[in-house]
Amino acid sequence: MIQGPLSTIDALMVALSGFVIVFLMLAALWGIILVVSRVVGGLAAKPVPAPAAQAAPVPAAPVPAAPPVRWVELVGIDDTQAACVMAIVSHETGIPLDQLVFKSIKAK
Amino acid sequence: MQFSFFTALQEILSGSGFAALARDPRQLIMLLIAFVLLYLGIAKKFEPLLLVPIAFGILLSNMPLTGLLNEPMNGASPGMLWVFYQGVEHAIYPSIIFLGIGAMTDFGPLIARPSSLLLGAAAQLGIFSAFLLALALGFPSAVAAAIGIIGGADGPTAILVASRLAKDYLPAIAIAAYSYMALIPMIQPPIMRLLTTEKERQIKMEQLRPVSKAEKIVFPIAVATFVILLIPDTAPLIGMLMLGNLFRECGVCERLSDTAQNALMNIVTIPLGLSVGCKAVYDKFLTFQTVSIIVLGLLAFLLSTAGGVLLGDLMYILTKGKVNPLIGSAGVSAVPMAARVSQTVGQKENPSNFLLMHAMGPNVAGVIGSAVAAGFMIKVFGG
Repeated sequence: MIQGPLSTIDALMVALSGFVIVFLMLAALWGIILVVSRVVGGLAAKPVPAPAAQAAPVPAAPVPAAPPVRWVELVGIDDTQAACVMAIVSHETGIPLDQLVFKSIKAK
Repeated sequence: MQFSFFTALQEILSGSGFAALARDPRQLIMLLIAFVLLYLGIAKKFEPLLLVPIAFGILLSNMPLTGLLNEPMNGASPGMLWVFYQGVEHAIYPSIIFLGIGAMTDFGPLIARPSSLLLGAAAQLGIFSAFLLALALGFPSAVAAAIGIIGGADGPTAILVASRLAKDYLPAIAIAAYSYMALIPMIQPPIMRLLTTEKERQIKMEQLRPVSKAEKIVFPIAVATFVILLIPDTAPLIGMLMLGNLFRECGVCERLSDTAQNALMNIVTIPLGLSVGCKAVYDKFLTFQTVSIIVLGLLAFLLSTAGGVLLGDLMYILTKGKVNPLIGSAGVSAVPMAARVSQTVGQKENPSNFLLMHAMGPNVAGVIGSAVAAGFMIKVFGG
């Protein structure tokens, strides 16, 4: 802890070391974020263990149909305006776009 | 004793605040300052949620004979504003405000592009430059450190550091910090245009990757653990910021998250504003140092903006044009106003450009950066 007046050199050293420490700290956080992202991404992408060999072949289960594409009904506005509305709603509500479902967007 | 109407009237008038006010014209000047700040807050909407209570605190504390700031002595009750001020003195209000900010902040853009953290660090340049300038003007080192924090563009952080290192200068520092935060849309664009070329400002950035829920939950826990273990003095700010964010992201504390970002934040803003304003008493506020702090605060803002943009320029070169340097200016904390300024300036150059989400990364990194800088200053100059 420093008390009392600082010499010019000391003042410069304090300023420089403070700035460097802020940089190092945030650079270290960068590293932490990368590690967390890798670990979390790795856990999420972990392959499901293959089932044990089956005694007798069974007919393959039918492949489930892909979920139907959800279309948003646009009334009186174009695609760009609709995209803007969706982005604003997502931003204002704090809900990511991939979790929001829009059924229709109508111009007033 | 015979009752006389005129004697009674004379006693009432001589014992009133009007009579006391006439004894020192500086109190009248402070009242005028309070009126001007009220006008700026209400009519011009300069950070009204904070400026209005600050201005009213100035008004109340500069009216004589109220006893609002009396300390508890000899069994007498303390003044109401003295009681409110204990929340600033013990860093309670700024910490609760940070809890609310954490609950309101989406760190997703920062997690998606962690290199934004460096922009948040570069935009702390103003803190350390203003610290040196304040020393050159003759301020004591601890006070210079508190003045420098204005450059972080983060009101609660500035209040916390000033309450620890420069109690007498707290009102000037807080008023400068919040006033300049309100003026960011005017202060930043000229610097941004000066330090970038037209071509750079038109750069469109790649869309950010989606960030998983698990990443967002682990982030506040990891940041709080790492930063507080390294610099324990950041605990009140970083701890509360990350707790608020954990409330938001964990998905099981929705009521707490809602309370932190709305009701609690609003409740605390009232005593915080009043407490800051009430310390602007004429004999300590009307000094040359206050004017110096206002000027140094402006320089700190300008230099912080320049620091962020200059690193943005460097990233533009290193990434071969993938980073728009305008997002660097958002590295000053002021969330989300600084990011909006990046968006506005970028869209003026290229109407199809949407920089807002890209600028949010440096913006929230700036909050962490200024808290780290504050922790450093408190550590070095001993709060």
